[in-house]
Amino acid sequence: MIRALDRKMLRDLRRLWPQVLAIALVMAAGVATLVLGVGAYQSLSATRERYYESNHFADVFANLTRAPLSLKRDIEAINGVAAVETRVEKIALADLPDMSEPASVLLVSLPETGRQVLNRIYLRSGRLPEPQTDEAVASVGFAKAHGLSEGGMIRVLINGRQRGIRIVGTALSPEFIYTLGPGALMPDERRFGILWLPDTVLAPAYNLDGAFNALAVSLVRGVNPETVIASIDGLLDRYGGQGAYPRKDQLSHAFLDAELQQLRAMSRILPPIFLLVSAFLVNMTLSRLISLEREQIGLLKAMGYSSFAVVRHYGGFVTVIALGGIVIGLAAGVWLGVGMARLYARFFSFPFLVFTRDPAVYGIAAGATYAAALFGAVNAVREVAWLSPAVAMAPPAPQRYRKLLSFVPRLHLRFGQSTVMVTRHLTHWPLRSAASIMGVALSVAILVGSLWSFGSIDHMVDITFRRSDRQDAAITFTEVRPQSALYDVRRLPGVMRAEPFRAVAVKFSNGAVERRVSLVGRQHGAGLARVLDGDLRPVTLPERGVVISDSLARLLRLRTGDMVTVSVLEGRRKTHLVTVSAIVTGFIGLTAFMDIEAMNRLLEEGPVISGTYLALDASKHDALFAALKATPAASFISLQYIALQKFRETLAQNVTIMISVYATLAAIIAFGVIYNFARISLSEQGREMASLRVLGFTKAEISALLLGELAIVVLLAQPLGWGIGYAFAYVMTEGFRTELYRVPLVVNRNVYAWASLIVFAATAVSGLIVRRRVDRLDMIEVLKTRE
Amino acid sequence: MHALRGVDFEARAGEFIVILGPSGSGKSTFLNIIGGLDRATSGEARFRDHDLTRASEAALTRYRRDHVGFIFQFYNLVPSLTALENVRLVTEIASRPMKPEAALALVGLEDRMDHFPAQLSGGEQQRVAIARAIAKQPDVLLCDEPTGALDSRTGIRVLEALTRANAETGATTLVITHNAAIAEIADRVVHFANGTIARELKNASRKQPSEVSW
Repeated sequence: MIRALDRKMLRDLRRLWPQVLAIALVMAAGVATLVLGVGAYQSLSATRERYYESNHFADVFANLTRAPLSLKRDIEAINGVAAVETRVEKIALADLPDMSEPASVLLVSLPETGRQVLNRIYLRSGRLPEPQTDEAVASVGFAKAHGLSEGGMIRVLINGRQRGIRIVGTALSPEFIYTLGPGALMPDERRFGILWLPDTVLAPAYNLDGAFNALAVSLVRGVNPETVIASIDGLLDRYGGQGAYPRKDQLSHAFLDAELQQLRAMSRILPPIFLLVSAFLVNMTLSRLISLEREQIGLLKAMGYSSFAVVRHYGGFVTVIALGGIVIGLAAGVWLGVGMARLYARFFSFPFLVFTRDPAVYGIAAGATYAAALFGAVNAVREVAWLSPAVAMAPPAPQRYRKLLSFVPRLHLRFGQSTVMVTRHLTHWPLRSAASIMGVALSVAILVGSLWSFGSIDHMVDITFRRSDRQDAAITFTEVRPQSALYDVRRLPGVMRAEPFRAVAVKFSNGAVERRVSLVGRQHGAGLARVLDGDLRPVTLPERGVVISDSLARLLRLRTGDMVTVSVLEGRRKTHLVTVSAIVTGFIGLTAFMDIEAMNRLLEEGPVISGTYLALDASKHDALFAALKATPAASFISLQYIALQKFRETLAQNVTIMISVYATLAAIIAFGVIYNFARISLSEQGREMASLRVLGFTKAEISALLLGELAIVVLLAQPLGWGIGYAFAYVMTEGFRTELYRVPLVVNRNVYAWASLIVFAATAVSGLIVRRRVDRLDMIEVLKTRE
Repeated sequence: MHALRGVDFEARAGEFIVILGPSGSGKSTFLNIIGGLDRATSGEARFRDHDLTRASEAALTRYRRDHVGFIFQFYNLVPSLTALENVRLVTEIASRPMKPEAALALVGLEDRMDHFPAQLSGGEQQRVAIARAIAKQPDVLLCDEPTGALDSRTGIRVLEALTRANAETGATTLVITHNAAIAEIADRVVHFANGTIARELKNASRKQPSEVSW
């Protein structure tokens, strides 16, 4: 037998179902964002951990010119080293029948016997190559991009000689989750892939029999990689070592880490904001909803229910709503979280996916939401439940309104009474009006906070690809070449302009902080690839000193005029003290530039170049690519339009998925809140409005009165919402900041416009729904009853 | 079930009519129909050349706006507007209103114009409601238990305002009430019972409100 009070509760829930649903959805959106954001991040993070561990991803990496295999034992003897893998690694041009532009492959040797010790490949299909054969395993992404299956052949220019390589399997590797070609800004699996070949084939081809040119080391747990790196560098110095580097500088890992860090930033910043906003809104809406029940509360008390029973009754009412919201939110959050983790796992080519579920997160999400709801209810009931029943049952004493600006005589008479009503109503409850404005402002703000990054990425693209790196393509040579190579490039078909660059791996250090970066030398007055200052004006590289990007300056705590230690990691491997002559804008990577002549003087290498930037005649691409395929000296050509495309596909896509989900949830919150505001203000003023209808006001006039208030609240909320949204965006840029990307804080006007438009749309729909209820207002009831 | 059956009623311009009857006798339904709040399912209700039975929703709104003044038992003033503003609320939409100040003066509230409902007594609030109803210079003034929530002394002041309004604006005034004492101030008294007019009575002479009591 259901008790009468419970029956009343169920009936109330049914009577108010659209509002109940809207509130539940607001709660659900708050809960879902937290659960999905944290869930996706944690699952991906756990997956990466498991992947690294099961495939023995190394802790330290090094490249060198050539060292005898016997050196391996010395490295193994270094204190803290757990395992060592030596191998041969070379970049080569590949000729693929399905594309005109040349592709590059990184050739990596597989041990002749036994499994790889470190950086084990995960064989996706086929088998490992037989020793002594021109067979290879290809990276999955590359094979897929070219439709290469087992038995497929590709032609690779190995040490100046074309060789046919037969693909016998495809594999993933923790080392190449992201595959970036040399000098490429963005991974491109079509134009850069990995081929694993037997050591017995690869080593002799490059005259590295009994030797190696790459090294991977795993460390005993808890060992500081820097001390081991120092020992390794000492050992490799004689063999052309280019400086060992820790896992965090490994390109693929760094990229993946940046992505995960962004996901984490998103899950750390946006969802708690959403949760708080939804809790605040739920609290406010429920307390207003329950205030409307004043008479009924009086009635219950008059019949003999205790104050406590009344509180419990309404507590039960919000509990049912909150439970609904939490269940929907958790279910949606888990579902979206798993979906998103799947999407990202495919995107990162993880071989498997580990789902983690964190009960603490569920608990926090559910607890915060429920507490906010219950607090709102109890607060509202408390005001009424302790009144004497007679007082509670009577309508609240008419509110004492005040005149605004009463010192201006008869000011209010210049406006219509409708305007006076609306403004008095708003100013009479300043706290409640402020809370309503705040509520709508927060809806606007979470929309701004979700939507801004699209414009920001566009800005980043515009600066990077249209104002800074304006070249159509860049050719990187296999090794440095004399200045005259520039003239050979200029003679290639379709090349309209070519500018040289010199790139060298260096280590910048200032005090204890050091970073490996690529120091790029560019021609004085270069017009294709430029560097921009803080105001985005092109900077002429000074004749002395180094120009560094703002993110590098920030990391190393350097300012213009400071001295910085630059250790060259190639060639003579000298260390220099150089002046920071300017700080420039850069969003991608840590970058440093010098005038090419100053750089060559510093390196004491004479006038050499590492490659060229090109402006191309688009109609002659094919001829150029054909020519390049036959140029052994060119190891890699990066094409800017592909880089841009890849950029959009990686960072942009990554952010887009998440942001779209958040923006949708923000829109749900905005709608839920505004709909409830409109409905509640109709309930509060329904009687007044019905009286006016009796007096001869039209439906349109009544609606204008009612919605006028909502309109004012919504309009006043916009600038505030923009401001708060901007602050959310600022917090997010800080959270997004990684060493690979810096997302600029650019909130375009159209972001504000969209946020406001969505809120206006929610207002319009709510207005229409309320308008329909106004049409059904019972005028006769007003004549007979008190409130 | 019909709330009203076979009601045949006509009012002259300027007449002051009191309608008496117990709860459920149909007097409110009657008031709703002639006030344009509800439509009769059959029969005919006319105001001058307006056919209220066949009028559209919008036409009824127009009718209420231009010709009818309502006074409710519980005043139904807008709490956020002062007395004067409550009256202006109606004069702003009426086609030939009197000055709001004049309407308030008519009910003796010229000194309380800038007070909010919360600052006025029940009787004063009801007089504001009367001023609000007559300010549009209605042809019909409909009052549903106008003294129902008031004590006798205050009620009489309200009735005085009402009769004065009736006399000065010439609005046909219908007052619905339980209170038989009020009948004596009317030109005509109509008794409702079981959905029909049970009897009608013309007062030979009208009493002043101050002469009645309950």
